[in-house]
Amino acid sequence: MNTPGNRAEARASSLSRRQFLRGVGVGLALPVFESALAPLGLAATVGAAPLATTASGAPLRMAYVYFPNGAHQDYWWPTGAGANFSLGRTMQPLAALRGSIQVLGGLDHKNAAAGNDGAGDHARANATFLTGARARKTDSADIQVGVSVDQIVAQRMGSATRFASMELSCDAVRKSGRCDSGYSCAYQYNLSWASATTPMAPEPNPRLVFERLFGAGGPGERQKNFRHRQETQRSLLDFVLDDARALQRQLAGNDRHKLDEYLTGVREIEQRIQRAEKFGDLPDPQSDTPAGIPTNYGDHMDIMYDLMALAFQTDSTRVATLLLAGDGSNRAYPQIGIPEGHHYCSHHRNSEELMEKIGKIDLYYMERFARFLKKLDGIKDVDGRSVLHNSMIVYGCGNSDGNRHTHDNLPIVLAGGGGGTLTPGHYRQYGGRPMSDLFLSLSDRMGVTGVARIGDSRGRVAAL
Amino acid sequence: MVPTPDSRFWRALFGLGLVGAVVGMARAVETATPRPSAAVTYRRDVEPILKKYCHECHADGMDKGGVAFDAYKSDAELVGQTKLWLAALKNTRAGLMPPKDEGTRPSAAELDTLARWIKHEAFALDPEHLEPGRVTVRRLNRVEYRNTIRDLLGYDFNAEAEFPPDDSGNGFDNNGDVLTVSPLLLEKYLAAAEAIVDKALPKVGSVMRERSYTGKDFRGENGRVGAEQLSAKKPITVSKVVKIDQAATYQVVIELESRGSFDFDPSRCDLVCRVDGQEHFKDRIEWSERKTMRRELQFTWQPGDHVISFEVVPLPPAKMPEVKPDPFGPPAQTRVDARVAAVTVRGPLERRYWTVPENHARFFPAGPAPEDAQGRDRYARQILGRFAERAFRRPVAPDQVERLVGLARQAYVQQGRTFEEGVGRAMMAVLASPRFIFRLEEPVAGARGPVAPVDEFALASRLSYFLWSTMPDETLFDLARRGELRSNLAAQVSRMLKDSRAQALVRNFTGQWLQARDVEFVPINGRIVLGPDAPRNREGRIEFDSGFRRAMRSETEFYFDHILQGDRSLLELIDSDYTFLNERLAQHYGIAGVTGDQMRLVRLPQGSVRGGVLTQGTVLAVTSNPTRTSPVKRGLFILDNFLGTPPPPPPANVPNLEDAKKEFKGREPRLSEMLAVHRENKLCSSCHNRMDPLGLAFENFNALGGWRDTEARQPIDASGELASGERFADVKSLKQLLVGPRRADFYRCMAEKMLTYALGRGLEFYDVETVDAIAARLEREQGRISVLLTGVIESSAFQNRRILPAASSVSLR
Repeated sequence: MNTPGNRAEARASSLSRRQFLRGVGVGLALPVFESALAPLGLAATVGAAPLATTASGAPLRMAYVYFPNGAHQDYWWPTGAGANFSLGRTMQPLAALRGSIQVLGGLDHKNAAAGNDGAGDHARANATFLTGARARKTDSADIQVGVSVDQIVAQRMGSATRFASMELSCDAVRKSGRCDSGYSCAYQYNLSWASATTPMAPEPNPRLVFERLFGAGGPGERQKNFRHRQETQRSLLDFVLDDARALQRQLAGNDRHKLDEYLTGVREIEQRIQRAEKFGDLPDPQSDTPAGIPTNYGDHMDIMYDLMALAFQTDSTRVATLLLAGDGSNRAYPQIGIPEGHHYCSHHRNSEELMEKIGKIDLYYMERFARFLKKLDGIKDVDGRSVLHNSMIVYGCGNSDGNRHTHDNLPIVLAGGGGGTLTPGHYRQYGGRPMSDLFLSLSDRMGVTGVARIGDSRGRVAAL
Repeated sequence: MVPTPDSRFWRALFGLGLVGAVVGMARAVETATPRPSAAVTYRRDVEPILKKYCHECHADGMDKGGVAFDAYKSDAELVGQTKLWLAALKNTRAGLMPPKDEGTRPSAAELDTLARWIKHEAFALDPEHLEPGRVTVRRLNRVEYRNTIRDLLGYDFNAEAEFPPDDSGNGFDNNGDVLTVSPLLLEKYLAAAEAIVDKALPKVGSVMRERSYTGKDFRGENGRVGAEQLSAKKPITVSKVVKIDQAATYQVVIELESRGSFDFDPSRCDLVCRVDGQEHFKDRIEWSERKTMRRELQFTWQPGDHVISFEVVPLPPAKMPEVKPDPFGPPAQTRVDARVAAVTVRGPLERRYWTVPENHARFFPAGPAPEDAQGRDRYARQILGRFAERAFRRPVAPDQVERLVGLARQAYVQQGRTFEEGVGRAMMAVLASPRFIFRLEEPVAGARGPVAPVDEFALASRLSYFLWSTMPDETLFDLARRGELRSNLAAQVSRMLKDSRAQALVRNFTGQWLQARDVEFVPINGRIVLGPDAPRNREGRIEFDSGFRRAMRSETEFYFDHILQGDRSLLELIDSDYTFLNERLAQHYGIAGVTGDQMRLVRLPQGSVRGGVLTQGTVLAVTSNPTRTSPVKRGLFILDNFLGTPPPPPPANVPNLEDAKKEFKGREPRLSEMLAVHRENKLCSSCHNRMDPLGLAFENFNALGGWRDTEARQPIDASGELASGERFADVKSLKQLLVGPRRADFYRCMAEKMLTYALGRGLEFYDVETVDAIAARLEREQGRISVLLTGVIESSAFQNRRILPAASSVSLR
């Protein structure tokens, strides 16, 4: 692959990515918080505790990042305990951020274990990760698991931000045919579930993520394009609303009732457009729109992390999930000298060589995550603290030991200060509690009150 | 359940004496106002019959089933009991009342006297002026939406995937009352309108020609090997010749893919691309996950043949990483492949050679738009007027067209936007309009209520959505415009039934009446039901798989279609000497001599139990439980869908059927024995005495409709007795009863089902006369299906509508 054309293309692709990355945050010294905060002020006046807001009045964000196939245990866990701990090999990239993260041990997902369902640990690991629920073993239409923690929070966020939540993925190419051992592919390709039966399909294409957030086109054109789309919708709505009103006057009995249904729908869509307008001008990151999906997986991860950072920085949303790869992923990592598939390596059966390779893959993923955290740490928030300080980012997997498919003592890192509500810089060991207890503790901090249970939760995690 | 409105209000409103009442259905059942003479004629003609046959249980202190004819304050009150008389009519005609073991039965003359009195005195029905009832304005369901978009725009929009499922009412999903519009659905309609127009409508007046090829189009020297999968191990050259007519500049876009097996394979190759023999680039193919490469090349070509070729040049293998073989699986077949995913030749690139897009004329019949503003508006008016008229399925007022033109103009006067885009915007509005989404109907011009024929446009839509599940075609529309549809009704119906669109009637009616839709997903465990000796599918498994399920559904649809196309007797739905089979299904039925996947007409062997839909896999499977048959469900199915006398739903706190097992002390009882115990309970017997014998007649058919001689290792006794008293020995003699003595029940039931499907509303007491008239004609004309369909179409309910006082009396336009 060394023809001139090829090199030029590679150069163009990496150039556009660099331009995009460099542009981010440069043109945006401070995001458009004033307008974004207005609806929160409204919420406060009706007596409710402000949602997803820190004590200092800045936005509080919650995100979940999933890496596949568990972590090599020997390299993952720190030594020591509490505030006195040393990071293990895999977490070395986090050394500079040691004070902003905490390593959580002893959190379990019992619903990802086999139980009476037999094979399919990868599908279950993925499906249970944010729901804490047991996935129904089915290959067809009647899929069912549970509402995921991000959606529980997002559904309460209402109009606080332009988007209630954002679902991202770096797993663009789906395996055709069957997925893991009789489980629907939906379990393996989705982290977020709006209801027990409705997955929120994640977006893998950076360009589409960007365009949804900021409008299509180049810098300076996006506002116009976004407005154009809204104008199209509005002109249609105006037309059909007039039409429906005229008709309604002429109809009687049940027919009239049908038209009422129609009119209600039209009004709901109108309100959504008006809400979007309340936020005023769209933030326009002074950078190129990212191209499609980068060929290099590392680039793809970086760009999706960047988009998440950008969404947080512009307060477009406060809830996000990112599926780096579905559990059971057999991706190869030629860029770090590993031609075998990840899944294959994870079943190392104590082969020294494969264990080393798994360690390298785990480290590779951790490097990308560390880069993301550093980026958040470098963005100044409205209250003068960093966006990382005002965030709660969970990084983890629903499988602990990929070799044996266990779902106890899951590999979990919690990054960020939660706007001052978290005490990072600790290695905490819970000795076998539901992972779902952590979800409750984090959604409490998001101001979502009255949630009695999430999945198999038994209570809240006390120390965080 | 809708609360009952004050009946005086409705009486006043309807003027005709129709009032609302609530029964256990989604739709309020209306109440009749008897003829003034009814009380007198009751004493004279009806009471003597009731005294003779009914009063023993339903008068003089007896009120079995809550029915007592002497429980009313006056004769006037008694004759006004619509529900009571409707039940009396149904039960006496079906032979359910008086019960078969209660002495002598009424004579035919007595039954006829009773029926006439109920219809003409108690219900005051006038066969010449039948109440048409009123259909709630219907929105298109998913099937109708998809078909309508197909016929309107020539675009196949997958509404089944994009829209949430429709609710059903009275057994069908085209029922106006239950077809709701949720905010979510409206949002989807808006999105669909944008997406459909975006896909279907050309956005420009001229386009560059594009020719697309896939790997299949590239052939090796022997002409056989395609380029969908080229092994990195084998040297080969594949090529494609492109014919060029115009000397000009062309662009060639090439998309290649490399693919590796799950496990590592060391093979490598170069893939060399040449055009007209000259090398243009070379890509290294080696083991990796699927990877795509895209190239754009540009050429100035002379007319003639131009050859694009790809050569696989194998290279020495990569160093094998030292991995132990995967301990979890068998040794893998590893490989590395190159694939020519797509090659697109675009051009001539020069604008002067561009052409009008393929489907441009469909929407823009006069070609690209003129340049001047007035000319553009005039053209838009012409296009949109026609489009809206077709989409709304009726004439559109000029001011409405003008608003559409305004919408289009707003867009196309903008810099950088085309005329086509503007027109597209207006078309989106048309598709989002309630006039498109709902089927709005008007009475004929100048109609003065309360009942009037629907106008010809509404009639055209009623016909096309009934027979085709889609909008009227040009012919129907033209006839309606000229006001000649009614006068050509018979010819049009027969034309429509011959059209391939009539498949929609077959598919949607049988899909719901016989639940044939459900056979594609009904959860039945093939391995348990069929046992270890059953025929296996291609993969060697015993499974109720999708091929098997589709064959069952096809059998039912082909069968119904055969009757429809040949104008055959409805009785063949119950019994015949033929069916439609492929090898799989024939094997399942134990019928020899059918090979291959193709469904075809098969004459059944003498004495076969097949023939008729009741012994088809579809009906037998959808009325079964996952691991066993359900005689109760089967019995209920026949009562509901063939005899038209469904029993009421079971009361609360009924004992579980499985409880009956306790009576058998450790022995595994047959299902029939358990049902017999269940029937001993008084609470259960009145309905199960009707359902069980019918269902048990089919016990020789397992949950997938395969034949069996025993159940729980005991021989099956399929004999029984209908609630009306007729005895049968087995399923064959049951079918003989259904097409013989009980034929009238079946004809009435078919008329009810087809009328419900055609009207999109539940039936009311006043529809009894229409149903009876159709049943009587069916009896006279050998049950031909055309009699049923024309009977429905010519009925007052299909032709007319009741006009409610609207909020304003302006026409719908």
